[in-house]
Amino acid sequence: MAALRDGDFAALQTLLKAPSKDAVRQLCQECFCSPPAALGPLAQRAGPGLAVSAEEAEQLVSALHNLTRHVVYRGFTRAEDILCLFPENFHQNLKNLLTKIILENISAWRNEAQASQISLPRLVDMDWRVDIKTSSDSIVRMAVPTCLLQLKIQEDAALCGNNPVVSALTVELSKETLDTMLEGLGRIRDQLSAVANK
Amino acid sequence: MGLLNFTREPVPEAVSADMHNLNQLSAQQFSALTEVLFRFLTEPKEVERFLTQLSDFATMNKISLGPLKNIVKSILLVPNGALKRNLSSEQVRADFIALGLSEEKASYFAEQWKVNSPTLTRLAVGQTLMINQLIDMEWKFGVTAGSSELEKVGSIFLQLKLVIKKGSQLENVYVELTLPQFYSFLHEMERVKTSLESFS
Repeated sequence: MAALRDGDFAALQTLLKAPSKDAVRQLCQECFCSPPAALGPLAQRAGPGLAVSAEEAEQLVSALHNLTRHVVYRGFTRAEDILCLFPENFHQNLKNLLTKIILENISAWRNEAQASQISLPRLVDMDWRVDIKTSSDSIVRMAVPTCLLQLKIQEDAALCGNNPVVSALTVELSKETLDTMLEGLGRIRDQLSAVANK
Repeated sequence: MGLLNFTREPVPEAVSADMHNLNQLSAQQFSALTEVLFRFLTEPKEVERFLTQLSDFATMNKISLGPLKNIVKSILLVPNGALKRNLSSEQVRADFIALGLSEEKASYFAEQWKVNSPTLTRLAVGQTLMINQLIDMEWKFGVTAGSSELEKVGSIFLQLKLVIKKGSQLENVYVELTLPQFYSFLHEMERVKTSLESFS
């Protein structure tokens, strides 16, 4: 996560050259979503629209990325908190516009940050089936119920980019195993309730 | 020899002779030998112990170990087949008599069979093929306090470690669940339990 740097606010004033408020809005969105590595190409695309040099475009894009990410990091929800970040001599209207755009997007951006945070592989889906085993090589006639559980697990989103790898794992549980598992899950539920009620 | 219950295949020649030798044992000796056999059948992994006990039996009763092992091999044919085919104790008794064992010893063995068969059946079912059997589940849950992108988070996470038997190896699978997913998982597992119970 990048921190706000001194030159960032100066660079942001380049936005005064933007053709419309929507263009600013669009750029804010793109700068937030882009990972640091993709800021270069983004600057190249945005530069022509703003009639600025390549270097100025890069500085702008980087500054906007830092600003949006910083606000999301701090979890600001009020306009005052965001307005305070700007230096005194910053262009008033631009300051208000940026604050407004950020507030519009902050909750979607927070959710996105939370959804893409690092984690262990995540459970995305689960299906089950109950079979009755009627015969095997060790015993010719029986009627033993067993459960097949299929878990769809997605690898860490950050590692896979836009193509998350989902693997399916099928496990078999006997009745005894299921009972033990339910006991464990019940304990988790009880502890969660205890935490929630504090 | 009439039709046997425990097998459809022809019985090896040696079995009759082995049964004849068994008949020579006293009731006490036969009882001791039967005990050793059932202890092995109920704990099939204890091969070393079984062989030691057989060897002790041979020494104590002045029988050569070699012939004793052959006799034991013959006797074990019946309970192994009986287990596979869910035979009753009467059927086991009838088979031993058909093989040439005395009525007294056949009845005794059949009685021991009746006593041990629930354990033995459970063992046989337990040996039945399971795909990716779930052996163990460990869990932890906690709160995500912050991340590099969000200073304060405060969301609950649940992590499960599933230990799965793949073939002869154990594999660990780590999964993370959100709170709603956990409740959904718990709900589904309870439905599975109801389903399994209705079939038991």
